Amino acid sequence: MNSKAQLKIQQMAFMLIAITIFFAIAGMFALTMSSSNNKKDAEFIREEHAMTLISKLANSPEFSCGEVFGGGQSNCIDSDKAIILAQKAIKYKTFWGVEDIEIKIINSDAEKLCNLQNYPDCNTINILNNETEGYPVSNFVSLCRKESFGGENYDKCEVARITVVTKGTW
Amino acid sequence: MKSKKAIQLPFAWIFASLVGAFILFLAIYISIKVIDTGNNGVDLKTGTEIGIILNPLETSLTDGQKTSFSLPVETRIYISCSEKNTFGLQNIQISQMSFKKWTDTNSRVSFENKYIFSRNYSEGKTFYLFSKPLEMPFKVADLFYLTSSKEKYCFIDAPENIKEELESLGQENIATKNCSAQSINICFSLKDNCDIGVDYAGKVVVKKLDRLYFEGDALMYAAIFSDKSLYDCQLKRLMQRIEQLSGLYRDKASLVSKEDCNSNLDLVALAGLARNFENQGDLVAINMLAEEIKQNNEIADCRLW
Repeated sequence: MNSKAQLKIQQMAFMLIAITIFFAIAGMFALTMSSSNNKKDAEFIREEHAMTLISKLANSPEFSCGEVFGGGQSNCIDSDKAIILAQKAIKYKTFWGVEDIEIKIINSDAEKLCNLQNYPDCNTINILNNETEGYPVSNFVSLCRKESFGGENYDKCEVARITVVTKGTW
Repeated sequence: MKSKKAIQLPFAWIFASLVGAFILFLAIYISIKVIDTGNNGVDLKTGTEIGIILNPLETSLTDGQKTSFSLPVETRIYISCSEKNTFGLQNIQISQMSFKKWTDTNSRVSFENKYIFSRNYSEGKTFYLFSKPLEMPFKVADLFYLTSSKEKYCFIDAPENIKEELESLGQENIATKNCSAQSINICFSLKDNCDIGVDYAGKVVVKKLDRLYFEGDALMYAAIFSDKSLYDCQLKRLMQRIEQLSGLYRDKASLVSKEDCNSNLDLVALAGLARNFENQGDLVAINMLAEEIKQNNEIADCRLW
């Protein structure tokens, strides 16, 4: 083989390698752009979801006050249902597609976690706690329950903050 | 010398052709993969967004809510359901028109707390959704009815309450008069040209060979807008939720009884009926007990819901 032909093959080989590298880089750039768009979309969906999530949760049959405390109220959580739900957490682990649900009564007392023994002398109901990282969203709700005084029943409603942690990834 | 040169030239060409073909193959393969991944991503995103679109309909306190959404390309929305786990699953799969072909529907988005009724798949660019709560005897869930703008429904001789509800809903693909020739006719009395028959008093929806039994308007719409297999599956999922909610209210009843708040509702029997639910035939018994429990709850010392 003469040296001119060898040079030609070398040139061609280099050219082909250069073209491959060029397309690889262009492809990687396109992939990065598309992946960044996907991340933006996921973030947008997450924010969109978070905005309606709390209202949806508070008004779901498992939480809502219904007509127990007079008329259909929006963003009203039945405290008695919430404390029972906290005992059934395993069944509801994936039901709402969220990681954590916590309801905290707004008062100056130190945090006291509720269980069936100390309820209602407590201020924090921890319904779900999957202990994974995610995005917390919260809102204010009415937390209502039945109480009795001197043999008479009455409705007791307090302002509470419900915090929901949504999944970190979609 | 001449013959040697003749061999050298083709080798350069063979080498260039082989490597060129390899590069071309690689480029085409990667492009196809990237397009597939992109389509998959779009399908998943659309499915998730449909789930999110349903949220505002669930938060509203008013009865019967509607919404619509449009997608940039022709889309097929496949609605299916499974009864596994405590609450079963609502699956949404999306297939979109890409290069005159429908994309694969391998990826699905699933929700445990949603109940969508529609045909096996709805096709179009614009889709309508309306919701109605199911109460049996307490609110169980909001049921969603998904239709495409290509499907026109006409309710003929519907009872006044249904007519009023549908007219106030104002959904563009649902009419109660002046039916178009292409519309799917839903007749509430014996007529010609009926695609779906509804015996409102007998609580049954008749579709070709299928008879779908219902209790209440929410389940009547479910039977009208969905296939039998989806209707049966969603009914079972709804019963799974009734069973769990009955347990929740039963525990609440014992908790509030400590505050001299008594209710005395037969929620154990309701949970039992829901747990043993086999088919649409069991709906009658559940509804009868639910009605009794509902009346007792309304007159109880302490209402549970």
